[in-house]
Amino acid sequence: MSELKIKGITVVDTFAEAFPMVGTRIVITAPSLEWALTAARTMTGFATSVIACGAEAGIERTLSPDETLDGRPGAAVLLFTMDTNKLQTQLRNRVGQCVLTSPGSACFAGLEGEKKLKLGASLRFFGDGWQMSKLIGGRRFWRIPVMDGEFLCEATTGLTKKAVGGGNLLVLGKSHAAVLAACERAVHAIAEVPDVITPFPGGIVRSGSKVGSKYKGQIASTNDAYCPTLKAAVNTALPLGVEAVMEIVIDGLTKESIAKAMRAGIHAIAAGGAEAGVTHITAGNYGGNLGPHHFHLKEIVA
Amino acid sequence: MTALAFELKEKPEQRLDLSPLIPSRLKGLKAREIESLSIGTARGKLTVGDVFKLKGSDAGTIRFTGTDGRCDKIGADLDEGEILVDGDAGAYLGAGMKRGRIEVKGDTGALAGASMNSGSIAIAGNAGERAGGILVGETMGMKGGVLRIGGKAGPMLGERMRRGLIVAEGDAGDYAGARVIAGTILFKRSVGKSAGYGLRRGSLIFVEEPKDMLPTFGDCGVMEFDYLRLMERWLREAGIAVKLGDRARRLMGDMSVLGKGEMLILA
Repeated sequence: MSELKIKGITVVDTFAEAFPMVGTRIVITAPSLEWALTAARTMTGFATSVIACGAEAGIERTLSPDETLDGRPGAAVLLFTMDTNKLQTQLRNRVGQCVLTSPGSACFAGLEGEKKLKLGASLRFFGDGWQMSKLIGGRRFWRIPVMDGEFLCEATTGLTKKAVGGGNLLVLGKSHAAVLAACERAVHAIAEVPDVITPFPGGIVRSGSKVGSKYKGQIASTNDAYCPTLKAAVNTALPLGVEAVMEIVIDGLTKESIAKAMRAGIHAIAAGGAEAGVTHITAGNYGGNLGPHHFHLKEIVA
Repeated sequence: MTALAFELKEKPEQRLDLSPLIPSRLKGLKAREIESLSIGTARGKLTVGDVFKLKGSDAGTIRFTGTDGRCDKIGADLDEGEILVDGDAGAYLGAGMKRGRIEVKGDTGALAGASMNSGSIAIAGNAGERAGGILVGETMGMKGGVLRIGGKAGPMLGERMRRGLIVAEGDAGDYAGARVIAGTILFKRSVGKSAGYGLRRGSLIFVEEPKDMLPTFGDCGVMEFDYLRLMERWLREAGIAVKLGDRARRLMGDMSVLGKGEMLILA
């Protein structure tokens, strides 16, 4: 392990290996910020990893009434998958089941782009023929009658194929509490960065995985090199004094935004200094052969 | 380069057909060539030079001054650029236009913006009958764009329109929104008899409750419409100040036809 240190915390000379994804942003508005967030949280629930959730999603940020099309409080949601068809399916299902159903909600495009995903253009069929289309300022909106009035939903939203998934930071420390506190700070700092989300619970993963398993059919399994309880039995990456490791996974609409988020995360983790119990900041990779995007920690903090 | 300007020398003795005077047709023409264009509608030949004094050279923006209600087809089939009319305009102002912008300081005759496809027309004064309506030989009225009428609008406003937005800032005449297929008309003042006659789809938004309502519209009561908030915001950005709020009484109709249209009367 190399010698770059920030406030006594070792920043390991390695890189995070990330993958191309397709992504989109939508804006959800509601009568109150609470209800906009309720719809957004519901829609982004069970969306931590494409391994089994079908998508990775999260709330990018909240929006004040003057930032939304209908002048109500809102939330911007980012949704990522590995290909366009899956993104379309996930978007339709998640908005259809979680936003359409949420009291007083409306849903708008949050991303421009030549390529479009259907939003209201597929959900309109819920209107059973009573839906109305309105073209306002060159953008098409669907008004779908529902029991609390109307669900207003923009016909399409843009998508980007330049999204990046799997930017990450691994935080090693002397106690569970210290690592958790440092990661919480990092997630807060990353939340301020535009165009990114941290899809795991509270932004933090405690069960980083490696590819494959000893069991047939299990495509991913525990990252034993980073499990503190296995130090003596496996080819561990952990010094003896490390008691817990947590990971922050970042998905973003661009690779630049991931780099910014990782930088913000590293500085927030380091803000506590080594005396708070964090010993190392490192990153996960697969040797560099699987993902085309490599985020070298040294370059990022430079 | 200043805008190409046409100043009417004296009141014409016949109605004029000014449809050749649009940017895409005048681009690259010399002043003499423009002056020789025929704009008469009677038996004798009448050219631009006979009626107008020309100034400026930038055909991207065309300005008419001193025009009156016999100057027909200003900006008809407009497909680019801007036309400013410092005066009145005759019939067919911007009829069938595809793109661009027309602004009229005075009044216009019949069929302003009739069967227009896109672009915008702003009339500061009154508009004659069938503004945004249907041209002879067409199957649909206005098909897109924005038509704004600052003064009174004549009867049959937006007849058989298919898409787009009409904002009637003054009173509108009888049969406003008649036979509308789809689209939106916003009425800021009163309307005459039988508004929405034959409305199939589309929205007629009334700031004031119409006095004479057709019996073929069914009341859905008052409720909240996020759509109105969206509309208000867009109108504000387009420079049209109107308070729509978010509550309206919804009437569906015209039940004598398809009946999927609506009247939204602001509450």
